[in-house]
Amino acid sequence: MRMNFETAKDRFFGRMLRTLTLLLVMVSADTVWAEAGHPLTIAEVSKEEALRLGARMYREGILPSGEPLEAIYRGDIPVTGKAFTCISCHLRSGLGSIEGRVFTPPTNGDILFRPQKSLYKGVEIASMPPRRAAYTDDSLADAIRGGLDPSGRTLNEVMPRYMFTDEDMKFLVLYLKSLSTGFSPGFSDGTLRLATIVSEDVRPEERDAMLVPLQSFVALKNRQAKVYESQPRKARMALPSMESTYLKLTLSLWELKGRPETWRAQLEEYYRREPVFAIAGGITASHWQPIHQFSEDNQVPCVFPVTDLPVVSESDWYTLYLSKGYYQEGEGAARYLNNEEALLNGRAVVQIVRASGKGSALASGFEQSWRDLGRKAPVTLLLEEEKQLTKELLEQVMDRENPAALVLWDDSRALPALDALTAGKNRPAMVIISSGYLGEDLWRINEEVREFTYITYPFRLPQEEAPYLPYVDPSMRNMKLKDDELKIVRKTYSIIQVLSRALTDMRGNYYRDNFLDVIGMMPDLPVPLYERLSFGPGQRYASKGCYIVQLSKGPRPELIKKSGWIVY
Amino acid sequence: MTARGPFAFTISLMLLVVPCLAKEVRAYTRNEYKRTVENYQVPEVTLVNQDGRRVKLGMLLNSKKPVMVDFVFTTCTTICPLLSANFSDLQKKLGPESGKVQLISLSIDPENDTPKAMKAYLQRYNARPGWDFLTGSREDISRVIKAFEAYTPNKMSHLPLILLKSPSDTQWIRIFGLVSSGELMREYQRVIK
Repeated sequence: MRMNFETAKDRFFGRMLRTLTLLLVMVSADTVWAEAGHPLTIAEVSKEEALRLGARMYREGILPSGEPLEAIYRGDIPVTGKAFTCISCHLRSGLGSIEGRVFTPPTNGDILFRPQKSLYKGVEIASMPPRRAAYTDDSLADAIRGGLDPSGRTLNEVMPRYMFTDEDMKFLVLYLKSLSTGFSPGFSDGTLRLATIVSEDVRPEERDAMLVPLQSFVALKNRQAKVYESQPRKARMALPSMESTYLKLTLSLWELKGRPETWRAQLEEYYRREPVFAIAGGITASHWQPIHQFSEDNQVPCVFPVTDLPVVSESDWYTLYLSKGYYQEGEGAARYLNNEEALLNGRAVVQIVRASGKGSALASGFEQSWRDLGRKAPVTLLLEEEKQLTKELLEQVMDRENPAALVLWDDSRALPALDALTAGKNRPAMVIISSGYLGEDLWRINEEVREFTYITYPFRLPQEEAPYLPYVDPSMRNMKLKDDELKIVRKTYSIIQVLSRALTDMRGNYYRDNFLDVIGMMPDLPVPLYERLSFGPGQRYASKGCYIVQLSKGPRPELIKKSGWIVY
Repeated sequence: MTARGPFAFTISLMLLVVPCLAKEVRAYTRNEYKRTVENYQVPEVTLVNQDGRRVKLGMLLNSKKPVMVDFVFTTCTTICPLLSANFSDLQKKLGPESGKVQLISLSIDPENDTPKAMKAYLQRYNARPGWDFLTGSREDISRVIKAFEAYTPNKMSHLPLILLKSPSDTQWIRIFGLVSSGELMREYQRVIK
């Protein structure tokens, strides 16, 4: 039973108090600004620099002077640019958001400076007067400072009232005028151009496992668009995403040859010939870094490349990964081990790492998480590429360090040494290995070794995957796929899911930042392979979980969960 | 069941559920908030705070201090910054007294909200001791959020809620909507009276 104690009197006085506080803050702020003066005027800098400073105000909440911006929220709560930037609600593209049932209107150049039409279910009603007049520089300043739109309406108090000087305001207004004003390259004549990337170090079967479903998605989308064109009544039923029903797609294949150092030049040449809107998927056996950097530098979004060697960054924007790959397995191992206090008991942890891209990514994830958890760095031994982890070497390290746990980032070459460890007198209580690095050899781990061996496994367990299988395989029905190729097909299913939804959610606003913004605002997705793909503004790794498992006994072992999907 | 069955069932369900939510939503889109008194049975779960420490939620909720709870996530765009600014301002206004109230932010995005991310978030809001940010397994977090009637399947549609409880009371004050600092302080004063 709910009881309402809020009275009309309370509300009236609350509102009065907020209005008075706001007026007082604005008057006093004006005085302070006038006294302090401002060292930087827009006339002193180039237009390019002014735009950069305006973008910094919008994205990072930092004034041209370098100080954080200040604002008043809900009438009486002072907030700073550390927590309240324009981008928080209006998003990077400026096209706004709906979150927690709060509608944030667009603030991009195209929309702000023309009258806002009245809409009914997303359709403009020409016969009605506009909902608001076009903003001018002055009325925009009034809205940002005082919360009044050009039609005299008060903006919702969810919008903070920002305390900008006239000069600061010029930087921001200049930036807003430039924000999302013409569609991004790669969209024209109702067609969105996409590319996917395959490097020549990928086996043909793996390449097809990604390419075939992706191409059939594009073909299906184009067939649908054709049907809708000839049957507009059906298209209208697709409101509010009518724009995407007519949208056609092209998918180019960018093949990369030779060593990764040469890829950048090849990518630039492909892009010069065809500046695509975004990269869908892509697959390489090498590190994704050169392609990641190409995307960052050219501001080309890339969605879900099939790679376990992504760039792990907290600030890069343009590539959205399925997971952190091997790095994530390393993180999972550190988090799991951290909870084994009784086992650790102040003793050392030894990490043996194969000198390879995979070994290095696993070790980085483990070490970074281990440090974040406040632990001392593990004793690390690097195995050169050609060197075998021998029984003698392993015993020697165990005798010397007598560790509580051994973290072993290697492929199947490490298995014989593990067998020998079983009988060793200084066998650690726990050995952690990577399922990704071992691949199919995981199932060859001997029975005696299984009971002290823990495995990082960043996917849903095979025995729980059955309900998700019918969704992914139709286009591949006649192909005989191995497990790792099936994984690629399932990853491609996620690419298609996200792509398909993003095309709808963009609602005809074909700006690259909007494409990434709408993906950031998507609800979590149930997909094959991963327990959960979760999104959020600025999040760049959709699957964040990793099980720690053990192999069961017997000739046909199963994986047994030893942890939850996320470990803290 | 006929082909129309599931459709009719969905519509009936919507007719039942929508009016209940609509009243609360209408209130807060008009810059108002709704205050109700509730009874909640919160499950016994162990969560993890911003320092990576395991925390029994029951112990935190039933400490000898007044408690305020909200539901946020570190990359949230609109509502969470507003809720968190309110917690931050409340602590600032209470000054040396800020440790006398236990503020709890519960993550609704536990996959992404690691202790490290939560700690950085609290620092962004100048959080003082007495404000804990909790994460945990998806199952535990969902059980707690459901117990507080704050669950939404999609975190992007989450609710602007602050729950308050006095240490001497078993009932919770539920504030639905985005409140001003003055309004929250007034509610807090009412709770500790």
